[in-house]
Amino acid sequence: MRLIALSGLLILGLMSTQSANAASIYAGEAKAATVCSQCHGIRMPSADAPFPPLAGRDADYLKTALKQYRDKTRKSDIMNAIAGSLSDDDINNVAMYYAKLKP
Amino acid sequence: MNTIKKHLPKSVIIGLAAIMLPFGAQATSDTAKNMHQLYEDNCASCHGSDHGGFIAPGLNADSLKGRSPTSLRSLIMTGSFDTLMPPFYGRLSDDDIRGLVKHLQTTPKQANPAWTIDDIKASIKVYVKDESTLPAKPTYQINSMDDVIGVAARGKYGRGSGSKAVFINSVTHKQIGEIPTGTAAHIIDYNPANPRWAYVKTDTAEIFKVDLYSMQAVRSVKTGFNGPGLGVSRDGKYIMAGSYVPHNAVILDADTLEPLKTFELEGVDPDGKMVSSDSGMIIGTPFADIFAIALENAGQVWVVDLKEGFPVTKIENVGRHLHDAFLSHGGSKLMVASYDDSIVTAIDLKDRKIIKKLEAGCVPHVGGGSVVEVDGRTLGFGTNFGDCDKMVVSVWDLDKMEVVKQVPVSGGTESPAAHANAPYVAVDIISKDRRARTVQLIDKKSLEVVKTLDVGGHAYFPEYSADGKFLYVSAGYSGDEVVVYDAVSLEKVASVQMESPAGIFSHGRVRYMTRGLSPDEMKGAK
Repeated sequence: MRLIALSGLLILGLMSTQSANAASIYAGEAKAATVCSQCHGIRMPSADAPFPPLAGRDADYLKTALKQYRDKTRKSDIMNAIAGSLSDDDINNVAMYYAKLKP
Repeated sequence: MNTIKKHLPKSVIIGLAAIMLPFGAQATSDTAKNMHQLYEDNCASCHGSDHGGFIAPGLNADSLKGRSPTSLRSLIMTGSFDTLMPPFYGRLSDDDIRGLVKHLQTTPKQANPAWTIDDIKASIKVYVKDESTLPAKPTYQINSMDDVIGVAARGKYGRGSGSKAVFINSVTHKQIGEIPTGTAAHIIDYNPANPRWAYVKTDTAEIFKVDLYSMQAVRSVKTGFNGPGLGVSRDGKYIMAGSYVPHNAVILDADTLEPLKTFELEGVDPDGKMVSSDSGMIIGTPFADIFAIALENAGQVWVVDLKEGFPVTKIENVGRHLHDAFLSHGGSKLMVASYDDSIVTAIDLKDRKIIKKLEAGCVPHVGGGSVVEVDGRTLGFGTNFGDCDKMVVSVWDLDKMEVVKQVPVSGGTESPAAHANAPYVAVDIISKDRRARTVQLIDKKSLEVVKTLDVGGHAYFPEYSADGKFLYVSAGYSGDEVVVYDAVSLEKVASVQMESPAGIFSHGRVRYMTRGLSPDEMKGAK
């Protein structure tokens, strides 16, 4: 019984460290597919699209940009609305996912 | 950049119109004309030139009644997730988007526009004048032309630089050529008599005659405004094309693309009503010098003899809202899907009669269909668009013409792929959630789903390479790649990048007629 409780705690402990520190590129992939890729594509946006590519961009840059859009310190009707729906975790995950992708 | 270029001539036109028109009428008719042009340039290839819908819903006063203009505006700006609708933010100005919404909500579905045999003839464009200057062999390394796989890349916006037919060597999985098509490529067909020719049809009903040896378009023709129907005759001399807008079909000389005869598609539907009809599938068969064409709304299949005058035999009461079909038994039997009564109707092309109506799943869409020979039986596989409570792939015994099994799958399906040498029949799940990323594999012998592949994007239109060793799948919508799997281990082996890939067409199809049959069985059947 004690063993089970202990290992339960251990698992909980591992899970919380993960969400606090390491961004999940899997969660980022799912978020990117539903929120970003419609305009920015996965590896590349459409050749005819007016949207910048995200794959391979610096993760810190992506995080800062998304947070600025969310805080509306950087203005864009559409990005202010879309970034407004993202949590800190979402931003970390999505930035990590796109940064690791090869364009 | 493009937007600026496109808008310049328009302002010139507006200027001219302002001079020419009397003052009062000018304001309204200018706006209406501009909005109509915007619709034609950005929306019509999917939503229908007549506002009546095509591969996307109709946009007219009736269909948009009661919809909030604000929500329509934001839908146009951001696009619609899990569909092909792209975001027009940054491509159209906010004023244009608002104007379009107003225009669409006040415009009725338009009458069937005219596109006559003379219009078709006048639309022919010649890119290579003297075809004798073309190379005698492929200009790239390939063992057999059957190894060519063509992919219809739609392009994110259904038009523009991403819209093309992409050809891949299915042994090396490397791109060997691409043909820009202007608007979304939809169907690729190959000439059964000469391996060098392919025909690519777009959503706006242009057909490109493509020289696969030099990988270039040599001619094109516009057969209508919208419609994917395309077939090539067994002798490679004729092609037939059919349209949603207008309601007609045309037989062309496969060499010159000159129109030879047009057909008005109309007839009495199974409920006794005389209707004008969209063109469904068109198919040439190795069985005879004929084309078969499905009249979607009239519920009829017409058999056209390729002889003087192109006479038509009409087979009535095939079903309510026909769409696509596949061949079996050396091309003498045609299995036609009927959306509204959820059946697949078997037609004997020899007697030109209905053999039997077979139960299918929910809104059958058989794609190119699949036929496999297993343990002495000829089994046909049919996919289904709908995802009502019954989500199945139907398996029929095509000798006895009876249902063998309805295999439960995880959602609606659009197109099955099979190959004589591959153990699984692949079906694409298209239900609008995470399931759309997947393809399911049905074991040919046990008729059970044995594996689900997470392809990504909107995974659809699976196709085997001509040797059956590899399975190609389009990761469409925002997936933007074609993913290649080993047909047995189902390990991912390659990826080919392109914008919104859709239909995949192996050159091998001309030898095995329907996917899953072997060329030897084809010879035996004849």
